[in-house]
Formats: sequence, C-alpha cells, structure tokens
Amino acid sequence: MNLQIRYTTTFNYPKTVRDSHNVLKACPTSNAAQTLESYDLAIDPPARVFSYVDYWGTRVDSFGIFEPHEQLTIVATSHVVTHPAPSIDLSIDVARYAEPDYRVEYRAYLDPTRHTEWTPPLAELARDTVHGVEDANGAATRLMEAVRDRLSYAPGSTYVGMELAQVLENGQGVCQDYAHAHIALARSVGIPARYVSGYLYAADQSLGSTPDEAEIDVETHAWVEIHIPGWGWQPFDPTNGTPVAESHVKIGHGRDYDDVAPLRGVYHGPEDHELGVSVRISREELAGRQSQQ
Amino acid sequence: MLKTTFAEAYDNGEPRLHYRALMERLHSLAPGDLQGRARLVESTFRTLGITFAVSGREEGLERTWPMDLVPRIIPGSEWEIIEAGLKQRVRALNLFLDDLYVGAQAALHDGVIPRWVVESADGYLREAHGLRAPQGAHCVVAGIDLIRDGGGVYRVLEDNLRVPSGVSYVLENRVAMTRALPIAFRNHAVRPVSHYGASLLTALRSIAPTASGDPTVVVLTPGIANSAYFEHAFLARQMGVELVEGRDLVVQDQVLFMRTTRGLARVDVVYSRVGDEFLDPVVFRHDSLLGIPGIVSAYRAGNVTIANAIGNGAADDKAVYAYVPDMIRYFLAEEPILPNVTTYLPWQNEDREQIFDRLEELVVKPVAEAGGYGIVIGSQADRATLEDLRAKLTAQPRGYIAQETIQLSTHPTLIDASLEERHIDLRPFVLTGEDIEVIPGGLTRVALPEGSLIVNSSQGGGSKDTWVLEDDGAVATR
Repeated sequence: MNLQIRYTTTFNYPKTVRDSHNVLKACPTSNAAQTLESYDLAIDPPARVFSYVDYWGTRVDSFGIFEPHEQLTIVATSHVVTHPAPSIDLSIDVARYAEPDYRVEYRAYLDPTRHTEWTPPLAELARDTVHGVEDANGAATRLMEAVRDRLSYAPGSTYVGMELAQVLENGQGVCQDYAHAHIALARSVGIPARYVSGYLYAADQSLGSTPDEAEIDVETHAWVEIHIPGWGWQPFDPTNGTPVAESHVKIGHGRDYDDVAPLRGVYHGPEDHELGVSVRISREELAGRQSQQ
Repeated sequence: MLKTTFAEAYDNGEPRLHYRALMERLHSLAPGDLQGRARLVESTFRTLGITFAVSGREEGLERTWPMDLVPRIIPGSEWEIIEAGLKQRVRALNLFLDDLYVGAQAALHDGVIPRWVVESADGYLREAHGLRAPQGAHCVVAGIDLIRDGGGVYRVLEDNLRVPSGVSYVLENRVAMTRALPIAFRNHAVRPVSHYGASLLTALRSIAPTASGDPTVVVLTPGIANSAYFEHAFLARQMGVELVEGRDLVVQDQVLFMRTTRGLARVDVVYSRVGDEFLDPVVFRHDSLLGIPGIVSAYRAGNVTIANAIGNGAADDKAVYAYVPDMIRYFLAEEPILPNVTTYLPWQNEDREQIFDRLEELVVKPVAEAGGYGIVIGSQADRATLEDLRAKLTAQPRGYIAQETIQLSTHPTLIDASLEERHIDLRPFVLTGEDIEVIPGGLTRVALPEGSLIVNSSQGGGSKDTWVLEDDGAVATR
C-alpha cells in the first residue's frame, strides 16, 4: 500500500509564549513490513531542527523556538510503502518463555513500567486466560481478547498517567490504554511485550470520515508487539482486534508510551492552550509504480 | 576471614615511622591546648560557613562538618600504589561507559558483565545513548571510596561517578590544619592540594566542543537549598567561573547560553551538580524546575559538553561495582591494582547460599541507597532484622549486595581531651581530561561514635586532613 501521511499539530496559546522546546517522534520507521520513501518536516514559526535516532531506533526531531509566539504548527509529511505481512509460525511452544536465558535476554520487556504496572488480580486474570494454551501466538491472542472483553473504546475517557487498574475497572479507554493493558497482561505471565506508536489508515467515523474518501482523517495509533521465541516480534492491535497489516504504519517502539510519545515539549507561558492534532492519510495510486510490479 | 583491625598510626604500641614526628608533637602539647586548637578549627569552619545538611531527617538541620585535629598521613611510596590503582580503575570505568553509551557495547556482548545487570541499574539511562563525551571522559570527576582491611590492604568500597562531593572539605581542611598545627605541618613534606581548582578547570576546558578556542565553563547548582551548595559556590570561586542555576541558562538552536547583564553569552562546558533526572525537562522529569529545557539536545548536537556525562549511574551502581575488576582486565588487559571488597550477588545461586549461611557475618547494602542508609551489618543486627532481610533478599535479589565485613582501619582521633582510635575511610578525587590526575590524599572520613563503621557525614561522621608525604616520613623533628 502506498500511503501519504500528514501529521499536523497546532498549538494556539491564549497569550504569547516563548522558549518552547519540543521533541517529535512522528517519522515512520523502515523495516520488513514498510519502507519509508520520504519524510519532510515543516515548523511555523521556523526552527532549526536537530534530528537523531534514539536508543529504540526511532527518529527524533528536536527543536526549540526562542522568540515569542502565539501559535506553533508542526507538519510532518511522510510517504510510506507497506508490504503484506508474512504468516506467523503457530507451533511455537509457550514453554520457551520460561527458559532462564530467554527471560534474562528480554528482561527490559518483562519488567513493569509506569504505564504497565499490574496488580495481583490482573496477573490472575492473565494466568487464567493463558491456562492450557500451548502456542505462543495463541497465548498472545487470548490476552488481546481478554483486554477487548474488558474495555470499550471511548475517546476522552482516560488521561496519560491514569493507573491501568483504574482504566480496566472503568472499562473504557483509547488505543494507548488497550496497548498498555495488553502489554501488562502479557508481561505478568512472562511474555515479552512492547508498545508501538504509529498511524493507522482506516476511516474513523468519529472524525467524520468515510471509508471511500481519497484522504481520511485519523489519529495517531498505538498497538503492541509480542515476542514469539525463535520467530521475532509479532504485532497485535488490541484496539481493533484486527491483524496488523498494510494499513498500519509503525513509527517506533519502546517499553511503554513514555519511550515513544509522539510529541513532548515545554515552554514559558500560560499553562492552558488549545491543541489541535490531526493526521490525514491518503492512499496513492501511482500508475508508474503499480505497472512495475 | 580476617577479623583484625589495622591501626594506621601504631604498630605494636609504637608509632609507625611516618607518624613518629606527628605523635611526638601532639604528645608534647598539653591536653587543654589540643582542645583549644580543636575549638579554633571549629570556629574557622563556622566563620567560613562550611556546613552540610543532614538529609533524610525531619529537622533538615545544617551542621558544621567536624574536622578532627589529628591528620591522617600516607607515606609517598604507599600513595604511588594507590594513585596508580585509582587511575587504572577510572580509566576502565570511562572505557566501559563509552562502550556502553557511544560504542558497540562490546563488554556486554562479550559477557564481561551481564547485560541485564547494567540495564536494570537505576542510573542507566537509555536517553544517554549516542551522547559523545570528548576525550572519552564520562567521569571527569570521580570519587572512589577506599578502606583498609585488617591486613592494611587498601580496597575499593564504592565508586561515585555522578556528582561526588566533599572535595571542598579537602581544601578547607588543609587551610584549617595549617592554622591549627602549623609547626607539625611545616615539619612534614606534605604534597599540596590547593591546585585542585586549576586542575578541574583544565580538565573541564579539555572536554569543550572542538569548535571553541577559549571555552567558557560554568558550575551548575540546583540552588541554595542543596546540601552541597557551599561546595558548588566554592568550586566556582576556585576556578574563577560563574556559578549558575537552571534559570540562568537558555538553549537557542541547540546552543547553550548564559544570561548576563550584557545579554546572552555562549557556554561550552557545564560542570553540573544537578542530578541527571533533573537536567532537562524535555527529556527527563517533566516537573523539574531545576533543569534547562533543550540542554540534552545541545549536548547531543555537540555544541556543549556536560560533566559528568549523563548516565554514569550505570557504572557506579553497587551491583555493577562487583564487575569492575573484570572491566579492568577486559579493557586494559591488566590485573587490578586495588582490589574490591569481596562481594556476593544474591541472584547468583552459589553466592546466595553463602549469603544466607553467613548473613550474621556479612554486610548487606541496598543498591539504590547512598549516604549509608539501609545498610545492615549482620553482626550488629537483631534476629528480626535479619529475618526481614532474608525475605527482602529473596523477593528482590537485584536490590541488594552482600559484602564481607571489613573492620576499617582506625586512627587516633581527638575525643574530648584524649586521643582515641576511631574507624576511617578515604575518598580520593580523580580528574579525567586529556590526562588522569589524582589529587594527593582526598577526604578522610572518620566515624566519631566509638566502634561505628559508618563514616558518612549524614550518619555522624567527621573528617580529617589527609597528608600525602613526598617521602616515607623519615623527617627530623625541629
């Protein structure tokens, strides 16, 4: 799939702010499932951007705006070609998760983090869910279903930093919550799991889009990668329960949201601001490219 | 196991060669005179305003750091070995940190130290990956704590590679001592320490980004509320550079500036006494008001150097400490000159058996605490404490290390009007820039309560001036 993604964030401040410093993680990665063809960043007011690749392999764009300003607009445009996913080996035994050397190697993805802290009841739920399941992919799928059974999608129902146990008790969340819940359940039974930040090319009716539009409004998305021993990191989308395929565009991964948050920043000025985030994705039918295949 | 205690000044009741002149001089003074001189020292410190805050206590009282009147003496030939051992250790620690954050992580790949031990260290920061340290100097200032075991062997107890403090006392103790015991001081060929500020400045200038010809250095302090604020101000004065807080600095297009009365002035090197987590709210703690937004990007872009480098906590973690002798062998292909204290790691099966069998003989330390907090000395702990400890060691093996109990050497110390033996340690300061330099001596800390083995200032410790002699002490008394 040939996708053109336009990530736009606009900050409108009620009063002049200055000395704003930001760290953006919005650039899609390149891997076996996707190829980044181009990436372009435009910032207004203009800023000198310093870019690097962080520990997790994610491209980071760092920039500051020293001069007083009342509005900040960040537009990150990328062109990505996604590829069909290979089919997963379904015969990998969950017993491999218990091997001591394996647990040591994947420890960073087994320990709880700020957003993936689990309680004894959650661990019990996870244990019951995978009880009797013999293959690794099956265990991960069951855990995803357990999350989906307990959460319904409700924008604005949670905030960053809300405790996971609380989110599950309320039974409502957004993609970050689905991802953190899936990760916590997996880790609690010794299955390495990591958080993925990215874009999803799918019509979001709540944003007024319909599936047949050429360009659709979406939001940044989050999903999960579960490690399958001897196979690699296998993606799961607990929010949608659908396979992660050509509509998913990965930016990067980390232990939880904090490692790959799309935008972090601080500035001098009034605390409240109006924030507009939009992601528009269009699917291109490039005749020349198509005919080469 | 050696249970004996090494006496620094005496051997079978006779003063050791390098202490003879000092002991003769002290015994020639009347007891009242000694106390009078001790009071002079105390008032000197109070006048200078040298205090430290007792952390972890409700009162938050500032106290003067008591300096004992009796200096500790290290003969020149002994110091040569210590100095070589410290340089070797700090060289290896710098190579390890550079390999970890900038290089290919060869030491982890080759299994010199288990990857998970490093990655689970509190001070290991993934945000520090790719941050280059000019000259490979991740630890520009290192404080390496040494103790002396029953056989008189110097051993490394702990590495302090983040913001080691105490060097101001080394310098101030010397000034106070030359006033309190001027004749004794003059009768010894004591190696000077007063050049510390100049040496630190040289090291800091040597790590400036290459573009700057005449680099500007600043000392960054968390502010006046910090227990070591006195030292921060002292060091800035010693180096003749600005003492700044986070709000005095600003980043513009990945370049660091200091606000001055004549506008913004570029800064090339920051000697930071602010903890890593507070340095940059964009990267670390969002709620930190002490830091400078964007400074880590400026550092990454190569426009400013921060010392000590970010993420050094990966190397001075108490569990990582156990592997430093192996780092020395791996990176330098040398045998360690200064041994560690024998250390047992609770997550290793054979070590755990030892620990549980001999808990009442060992010392157990939490890896994440500093300042002597949370240490359990098995021989002094009651049954309930030991049981509690067993449970903690089982539940959180990575959270603790166990070590052989070392009695620490003792040194004559003025208690009221008489000289009594008290336990001491030594924190030498090692500077890395273009070269590695060790300031002769360091901070000798003394546990003032009788029999106490905990020398930390926060736990009732005092300090001593430390005299490294040019020779081995065969000096005639005048």
